[in-house]
Amino acid sequence: MVKIDNLSPRQIMELDVCTRCGECSVWCPVYDQDKRETVNPRGRARQFKQIIKSQYGLFRPGTVWGKMLKRKPVTEEEIRTFTNDLYECSTCRQCYVACPVQIDTVELWESMRRSMVDSGYGPLEQQKALAISVKSYDNPWQQPRSSRARWTKLALKDRKVAKEPKDITKTKADVLYYVGCTASYDVNVKEVAISDAHILERVNIDYGILGPKEKCCGSVLLRMGDHEYERIAQENIKMFNDLGIKTLISSCAGCFKTIKQDYARVGTLNFEVKHMAEFLLDLIQEERLQFKKELKMKVTYHDPCHLGRHSGVYDAPREILKAIPGIELVEMDRSRENSRCCGAGGGLKAGFPDIQNQMAQKRVQEAEAVGASVIVSACPFCYQGLQIGIQALNSPLKMMDITEIVTMALDKAEEGQ
Amino acid sequence: MYMYYEAQWSLYVLTVITVVIFLIGVYANVYLMLKGKARSLTYKFNPGAMLKALIVNVIFQRKLLEQSSLRWFMHISIFWGFMGLLAHTTLLAYFAHFASPDSPAAKFFFTPGSGGRLFLDFWGDFWGMFILVGCSIAIYRRYVSKTQQLDTILADTLAVWLLFSITATGFFCEAVRFVHVPPSPEYAYSFLGYPLSKLLLAFIPPNSLKALKYTEQVRTHLILGIFLILYIPFSKMWHIFVSPIEVLLDESEEHARRVAYEQ
Repeated sequence: MVKIDNLSPRQIMELDVCTRCGECSVWCPVYDQDKRETVNPRGRARQFKQIIKSQYGLFRPGTVWGKMLKRKPVTEEEIRTFTNDLYECSTCRQCYVACPVQIDTVELWESMRRSMVDSGYGPLEQQKALAISVKSYDNPWQQPRSSRARWTKLALKDRKVAKEPKDITKTKADVLYYVGCTASYDVNVKEVAISDAHILERVNIDYGILGPKEKCCGSVLLRMGDHEYERIAQENIKMFNDLGIKTLISSCAGCFKTIKQDYARVGTLNFEVKHMAEFLLDLIQEERLQFKKELKMKVTYHDPCHLGRHSGVYDAPREILKAIPGIELVEMDRSRENSRCCGAGGGLKAGFPDIQNQMAQKRVQEAEAVGASVIVSACPFCYQGLQIGIQALNSPLKMMDITEIVTMALDKAEEGQ
Repeated sequence: MYMYYEAQWSLYVLTVITVVIFLIGVYANVYLMLKGKARSLTYKFNPGAMLKALIVNVIFQRKLLEQSSLRWFMHISIFWGFMGLLAHTTLLAYFAHFASPDSPAAKFFFTPGSGGRLFLDFWGDFWGMFILVGCSIAIYRRYVSKTQQLDTILADTLAVWLLFSITATGFFCEAVRFVHVPPSPEYAYSFLGYPLSKLLLAFIPPNSLKALKYTEQVRTHLILGIFLILYIPFSKMWHIFVSPIEVLLDESEEHARRVAYEQ
């Protein structure tokens, strides 16, 4: 049996709300890859409705009505096939933006995934390593806790920072820079963490990091439907609240969305949560961050799903890029609320790496089409995901995080002084 | 007595059966819904946001308009046409069964040639026309242009064909009625039914046409209508009820989410 008590009555109603207009299939970046009706949101809602109707409906098989109507039960294989299709989704929220009847799709998919986990069908085998790693190592990349802050040594070695960021658990600070697992551990993405520290130090922000005590925000578990997320969220909320900080900032769109929006359902936060792009824009507006020298670049901005569609932050990164002299910002065909997902989130990259690769390639091609030389984003996860597309296409495009661009602009200004 | 039709007892029996089956269907949907135990809303209701959504996104369906003017026109034609005819039928049913025939309102709407009656003649044709246009666009998209985003299954097409057939038979009934009566300038208010009767007379021999009994045509029209009502809770047409609810709830939640975000 598929357990459905973790769904709300509204979510079960939403399965009937779908008018099957197919607008979601026009925009869904996953459906765009293999054109299977069962992976598009419309098909997914229909399949799930059939499964739960056959198990809980008034006319389900085995009841008097069911016998009269000759209803057949769903098979184990059908449920497993459905589960597979359910996880073939990056939870990018494009379907919500497209849906004319405003079905809160991602909440629905995540609840369905929780149902599948509760019933022993999810997550997929290839995704289990992520979940186990988060539970065992507090990060999804199977890396030891002790090396979480290794990037700080690199930053010192490369003279990107004058001193190591302070350990906020030992010395109080107003701002907690929550690095996130990807920027902490991925050697190709460490520049994001280093750039963040560089900027914060340059602008004399009283900040600190958790270092080896930092734990995964649990986003990956939440997206895959794992209840362990709640425990992680509770522990993190307590740890953050006890720090007495005023602001938590993160460069990771996934961590930001999870802490800002999803944690609020688990507990109360006694500080404000900002994405680094919002924080930097504040600094620019306060004239604490100024760019004087030109940085000649034609860039395009990729909206991370968790920052854009999930959180509504579209303008801050663009305003930052516009504030840097010399930068020419060009928009891709699909941008802002219709930005094409790179496929890195929602467990899709772990579950369906080929699909993610194709999605990233499409996005990179969109960036190439507008003649950009740099594709900028504001999320280490997108950084990682798009890099896959760049490599697969052998594209001349350079992938950069917005904080790297800001760092470059600051360094350039310093050179000119 | 309706405006042009005396209901028979068999129709009342059929109506009762239909209502019972309709309610069973509604119960089955609610029964399944209530298997969900989690909280439906994260935030409190926001009546202001919901009222705005009712006007903008339910009544005028702005989001659909932003996506495609053709789809918007198709859906709004069916939506408003359906609502218009539902109001028409409800009014007729009320005066036929509950209002005193001597009341001024009943006289206004039911006396032949009265302003109210002519208004109803116009009203019926007007909204019926919209349904026909909307359904025709839907049929064109599914069968002629074969719009890629559509996944045509029986449950989808049945709903469209049912609506189309009910409306088309409604106009046919009206045309057949006009065939049996001498011409009158008042018929201009039935601006589709009356010309259709002339068209029928032009192509079908008058005797064959006059052999068509009005009450029999109405019966076909009513049976199709009854089947539609019965079909609603068991089909995608259930969205008529639940989609507006979702739009309002979502708008309330999104509004609260935005407010929480800004804090």
